[in-house]
Amino acid sequence: MVESEFEQYRGLFVAESRENHEVIVRNLLILEGGEDPGAIDEIFRAAHTLKGASASMGFDTMEHLCHAMEDVFQAIRNKDLSVTQDLMDLLLSTVDIIEEQIDEIEEGGDGSSINVDEMVESLRRATGNGGPAETPLKTEVPKTTSLPAIETLNGNPHYTIRITIDESSLMKDVRALIAIGNLEQFGTIITSDPPLLVLEDEDAPFDGVLTIVMESDAGAEALRSAASGTEVSEVFIEEMGHGDTPAERSTIPDLPGYQMIISVEEESAMKGLRACISLERLEECGTILSCDPPREAVEDGLFDSNFQLTIATGQDPEELKKAAMVPEIRSVDIIPLKSQEPAGKKASSAPQSREQAPKKKDESKSREIKNLRVDIQQLDRMMNLIEDLVINRGRLKQIAEKNKMKEMDEAISMIDRSVSDLQVLMMDIRMIPLNHIFNRLPRVVRDTAHYDGKDVNFVMEGGETELDRSVMDGLNDPLLHLIRNAVNHGIESPERRREIGKPEKGLVQLSARRDRDNVIIELRDDGAGINVEKVKAKAIERGILSPDMADQLTKEDAISYLFHPGFSTAETITDISGRGVGLDVVRGAIESLKGTIRVTSHEGKGSTFELLLPPTMAIVEVMIVRLNNRRIAIPISAIVEVASMRRENIHRIGTQDSILLRDEVLPLHMLEEMFGRSDSTEILIVVQYNKVKCCIAVDLVEGQQEVVVKPLSRIIGVIRGISGITILGDGHVVPVLDVNTMV
Amino acid sequence: MGRILIVDDTLFMRTLLKNILFSGGHEIVGEAGDGTEAVEKYQALKPDLVTMDVVMPKMNGIEALKEIKKMDPGAKVVMCTAVGQEQMVKLAIKSGARGYVVKPFQAPKVLDEVKNVLAS
Repeated sequence: MVESEFEQYRGLFVAESRENHEVIVRNLLILEGGEDPGAIDEIFRAAHTLKGASASMGFDTMEHLCHAMEDVFQAIRNKDLSVTQDLMDLLLSTVDIIEEQIDEIEEGGDGSSINVDEMVESLRRATGNGGPAETPLKTEVPKTTSLPAIETLNGNPHYTIRITIDESSLMKDVRALIAIGNLEQFGTIITSDPPLLVLEDEDAPFDGVLTIVMESDAGAEALRSAASGTEVSEVFIEEMGHGDTPAERSTIPDLPGYQMIISVEEESAMKGLRACISLERLEECGTILSCDPPREAVEDGLFDSNFQLTIATGQDPEELKKAAMVPEIRSVDIIPLKSQEPAGKKASSAPQSREQAPKKKDESKSREIKNLRVDIQQLDRMMNLIEDLVINRGRLKQIAEKNKMKEMDEAISMIDRSVSDLQVLMMDIRMIPLNHIFNRLPRVVRDTAHYDGKDVNFVMEGGETELDRSVMDGLNDPLLHLIRNAVNHGIESPERRREIGKPEKGLVQLSARRDRDNVIIELRDDGAGINVEKVKAKAIERGILSPDMADQLTKEDAISYLFHPGFSTAETITDISGRGVGLDVVRGAIESLKGTIRVTSHEGKGSTFELLLPPTMAIVEVMIVRLNNRRIAIPISAIVEVASMRRENIHRIGTQDSILLRDEVLPLHMLEEMFGRSDSTEILIVVQYNKVKCCIAVDLVEGQQEVVVKPLSRIIGVIRGISGITILGDGHVVPVLDVNTMV
Repeated sequence: MGRILIVDDTLFMRTLLKNILFSGGHEIVGEAGDGTEAVEKYQALKPDLVTMDVVMPKMNGIEALKEIKKMDPGAKVVMCTAVGQEQMVKLAIKSGARGYVVKPFQAPKVLDEVKNVLAS
């Protein structure tokens, strides 16, 4: 494909290839659980599509690999190959490589930097070593024979022909159909066993022996050559004598005969098929009397560059030439035969279906396309534009209020409604079902369990729950980590489970649900649970907890040390879940999504990780407060209460100001270093994060509203204490406090 | 120039074909993602020509071809195939397909085939 043409398809290619990749992985896992013809069909189709698409894009390396993989799937489908653990591992590694290639292609490459030779070689070996074809089960086939219409019988000799198709043929039924098709050229088929209908039905079993009774005047040898062909191992012919009806050769009109030499372009990809089309079209014009090489061989492409045929037809040579000249046919030479024995069955008197009903131009062309794919970057831009709209709507409102313009108020309230609807709609559009990442997880569980020698039943539910794409992006890694942890550290080995009276197969359950304004994702395992004493000991060993404090810790507090940076209770760092990353990273990732994570655990019974996530990050309800004449936004979700501040209750403990609020002593933040010193702080905002509270002193509370939080630009970088900024209706830029870092 | 219905289960292939056919001056009257949809759309749109993928979910290209031929014996159907599917395509031709194009598509070949089948 030409370079410039090619780029426009890249995005589409990547998106669809990912889908197909996922289909393969999902169905491979189904297949691993047991035989499932539906799954292998799905896999085959997806693999086939991947191959075709990569070939179309010129990604040869990927095509190469997909092709080898498709062959294996084909062998599985034909039952030439059974699915073993080794084969499954090989196939899964293959799809992993394909995924890498898709990644590379997405980044602008062509997937060729990944070496696939070894993999292709292994796949080839797999198909090569596949055991001999199991013969399909011979089930009872309906032996109904179709009776021919009497008038087609011309009183010619009858023959019984038994055709045996080669045992190794992959498509015995197709071979049989071809033989029937060829025999039909020479007479009328009276019965067929198995019947044509059975042969045409792909699923019906066919043992490779076809018996035909037919009437023909062509002679046994002609029929033998018509019936034989590729993969036909034996043809047995027996003449049965004449039919009842007297011969009436005169019913066949004497038609002029022609010899035709048809040559096919050498670079034709499938010259047999070209010939096939040409022959089919000629057949519409007349009767093909002979073909050299035999028609079946020609249709299989078994000729050099040209083939010859004789045809009886009422049409003139020009018409014949036109019919035979299909694409990739290089030339057609026609020689009229002096005298033509009328032979064969009746020649079609006139070209059929030339006069089709005049095509009505359909006025109501239903060209609906119900789904569109949109580049995510375009959606992001649109989101930004809508955010700007929201901000400017606020400004307009304020201007109208200030100038007391009634008429404008009305217009603005209309805009107001549209913008709100637009915003809601945009949020909806950006929502993706969790299945997007859930679908990959069965594979992760399988691999992890496999690596660890564990037996795990993985159950997922609630995958249809939707989340904003940006939240989804950030959720993938932490979720992967938690799931690997559950299998790796949670579920015990089958032996151990048997010892303690648990079922050998461990259970890991992932569920998601929408709970009012949040999405809750729960990961539960029935493994060993968290050993609190072990956690404490480790924390002490790591120097993040003193022995004295350890004694005073509640169970929950102790477990929270799991999330301490650098903490890991795993004895060995494994290839799969270890990588030295601890739960602190998971917590960090979830928090950056404005979510929280909680663990509950019962030793011996298992653990549950609960992730609480906002469905979208972009719009947050905040309280606007003033401090030192500056405005600050605090997310409502973090605020526990607002109280008035009594200066006499402020105490200094160490370097930290604290305040006595009712019976609680809470750390107090004046935020002087951020916003300057204020002498008129009167209000206390009590915020809570992860069950830890603290207070922020402010001058006054201005109000509460929904705002769009924009991240700080890269130039500014990360500022501790501030999660982003928002622009209020009057155009002021206001920082949004990051409560997590305060407590 | 003809009114064409494109049948393929992937948007990628459909887009590719659409652009090729469009560049040849044809009108794309519809697209279908599986055999069942193809039959429905054929009935509704009565296109001059159908490009038909072979391997598709629900109803494959051969079955869809047979259904379409049952409805309209004069239907012009061009099969879209890949190397390795010769037998399937042969079956399709026996069932009334008028031509075939091989993936990866080469624009001139596709247009040539379509032109030829339309003229037949």
